[in-house]
Amino acid sequence: MSQELDIEAMKSQFLNEVFDVQHFVADAKALADYAAACGETAPQFTDPSHPDFQAPPTFASSFHAGRRMPENFPTLPGLGMDAGKAVQSIKPIRPGVTLTGKSHMHDIYTKTGRSGRMVFFVIRMEIFDESDTQLASADTSVVIRERPST
Amino acid sequence: MTISKISEVEFGETLPAFQPDTTMPNVRRFAKAAGWEGGRFTDHDHARKEGLPGALVPGIMSQGFLSAMIHHWAPAAQIKNVDTVFRAPVIVDQVYSISGVVTDIDLDSGRVEIDLTVTNEANETRVFGTAKVLLPI
Repeated sequence: MSQELDIEAMKSQFLNEVFDVQHFVADAKALADYAAACGETAPQFTDPSHPDFQAPPTFASSFHAGRRMPENFPTLPGLGMDAGKAVQSIKPIRPGVTLTGKSHMHDIYTKTGRSGRMVFFVIRMEIFDESDTQLASADTSVVIRERPST
Repeated sequence: MTISKISEVEFGETLPAFQPDTTMPNVRRFAKAAGWEGGRFTDHDHARKEGLPGALVPGIMSQGFLSAMIHHWAPAAQIKNVDTVFRAPVIVDQVYSISGVVTDIDLDSGRVEIDLTVTNEANETRVFGTAKVLLPI
């Protein structure tokens, strides 16, 4: 029996609808440790007393949504694996600021190879500050391999 | 040699090699800072019980290594995008190196595109990334 997902139906039902909202406050020491562990050496990333202290540019990737997929999303025929992450830095993330992360399904697409079809789900979290200015976005790509038809 | 402005960058230029710190103490420090303290990242035995070859370096830490490498090469670079594909696990306490090459330059805007690759000691690609950065004009 085929396990194929109806991609077009999923796209029309779920794309671009915010399904999760979370709030975060970045701690200065945690930001500095994050940066230093990654190998950053510039004081604007590693020294909280620096006048331009800010999160390293990929920090937005570390935020978790409260739920992985939209409500009523179909059960996936396989275990989703993390296929990649993309981060866009628009403005600096500063410590002590209340951030709001809004997540939506940004894209659903397939790739087909000799071993069958793989389905990719791109979940985008957009990060805003207290004045609703967008600071960053972070994409998480989850891939599942569909079971072949029998 | 470090880069301070766009006119110093050459197409095809290779960034200085970067060897990330993937030791357990450093990964634990990162995991705590990121709030990603799961045993699969911080404990080899725990990870092996989950069927993994060892504790994993979080994907977001690999992404952070790429950004640090760019800043070592061009301290004034503003990193606008980093897109990473995780091809295979990066294991804690194993040795990796990161290479980078400039694949596009826009002298008018100061934009540079860089391909970045994390490889293990067998020269197998574990993570591949593309970064878009802005340099002073």
